[in-house]
Amino acid sequence: MSVSRDDFSIAFRSALLQRGGAQKFSILSLIILALFIFFLDVYGFKAVKMGRSFINDVVFRVSYIASSPSRLMPNVGKSLASHFNLKEENEKLKKVIENYKSLDLNLEYLTNENKNLRKVLDAENVINSENIVNSKNIVLAKVLIDKNSPFLKSIIINKGTKSGIRKGMPVSQDNYLVGRIVETNYLSSRVLLLTDLNSRIPVTFDSNSTQAILTGQGTKNPSLEYLPEDYELKDDINIFASGKDGIFVPGTLIGKTDENGKVNLFVDPNQLSFVTVNLVSLSKERF
Amino acid sequence: MAKPNLINKIFNSGPLFLLYFLSMSEVDTNLEKIFEIFSFNLPIIIIYFWILKRPSVLGTGHIFLAGLINDVVMGSPLGISSLSYLVVCLFSNYVRNKSVNTTIASDWFTFLIALIFANLLFFLLLNNFSEIIISYTKISYNTFFTLFLFPIFWLIFSLYQSNFMSSQDA
Repeated sequence: MSVSRDDFSIAFRSALLQRGGAQKFSILSLIILALFIFFLDVYGFKAVKMGRSFINDVVFRVSYIASSPSRLMPNVGKSLASHFNLKEENEKLKKVIENYKSLDLNLEYLTNENKNLRKVLDAENVINSENIVNSKNIVLAKVLIDKNSPFLKSIIINKGTKSGIRKGMPVSQDNYLVGRIVETNYLSSRVLLLTDLNSRIPVTFDSNSTQAILTGQGTKNPSLEYLPEDYELKDDINIFASGKDGIFVPGTLIGKTDENGKVNLFVDPNQLSFVTVNLVSLSKERF
Repeated sequence: MAKPNLINKIFNSGPLFLLYFLSMSEVDTNLEKIFEIFSFNLPIIIIYFWILKRPSVLGTGHIFLAGLINDVVMGSPLGISSLSYLVVCLFSNYVRNKSVNTTIASDWFTFLIALIFANLLFFLLLNNFSEIIISYTKISYNTFFTLFLFPIFWLIFSLYQSNFMSSQDA
């Protein structure tokens, strides 16, 4: 019995402390170092934060370069396919132009209608929110890394504190909300997507302006929580950011409800290439 | 012993390149688009297999660094992936010290224990010391699929080892 215990301790000690060959460091020393770094990072020491910010910028750039083959390969296939289908594509484009022409007419009609409705409404808050949307405080950013982790849903963009980005700022694509900034570096930032388990957004919907919280589930479709008691959720209702938190622009479109009580986002979080960051003035950094 | 030539050196560094590439590139093993719950942890399989079969190809320092890079890219607290990788490395080292000849079945069983410990540590540290919320069901699915796919990668890596790598120098 004592022999087997000795065997265990010898083998375990050897596994923990063994060095030599490619193993320049013992596992024990590296485990202690990893724990030390983890606790320094978790408890947010300023020096570690600054160090991390610098490492992030460097690693994100390297990672972007390392990912280029995987990004280019599908594009090569697509361009080859499109080359062989030029005629077909031409026909399709003609149809698209026709559609745009008709849409243009519709747009003119809607613009006129909108102008008339504005005169009738005289709603101060609507004008305020439009000022935010139309202001120049918008930064266009490119998605550097879109690593689809099973646990955390986030993307890295190529703009950081240098461009005025701060934590908490809303991020959108084609005026549809996609997430918010949760980590800023000098040249890059991390965007927490609406689908992440840690994402919580105050939203409003339906004719009664019902309030709820849009909660990420870690899956493709977030769900609505804190609905009024006995509220029956119908499908195909547009969901808007309520702006109650003072961060998101009120009325920003997010998605539509489906028959399962989940929300189908207007923007596919896995297909983001360019996003816009609204540089809203925040009294304090939020996350 | 004959000095390994450049081609052999490149083939011997294959697992290390793959580990670094998986840590820093967009290529991931989260295949939710195919099947909603399907994701697996390939770096852990790589570390376990190569430390067990040929520790000379993966240094512990490289494993630690790959974990740190993975944390930066993923946005998880620094050091957490390194810790889980090193726990797998520790188990693999221990199994190598204790056994002479291993089979796919014995490796699979010991991998299960290593994987459970590594993911348990990952989950406990994140849950207790960080503000990040992660779903334990996702971790469970990830653990299951990683375990399930281990024999496939065991065969692939064994083929790679026997066909492309120079004779054992560990």
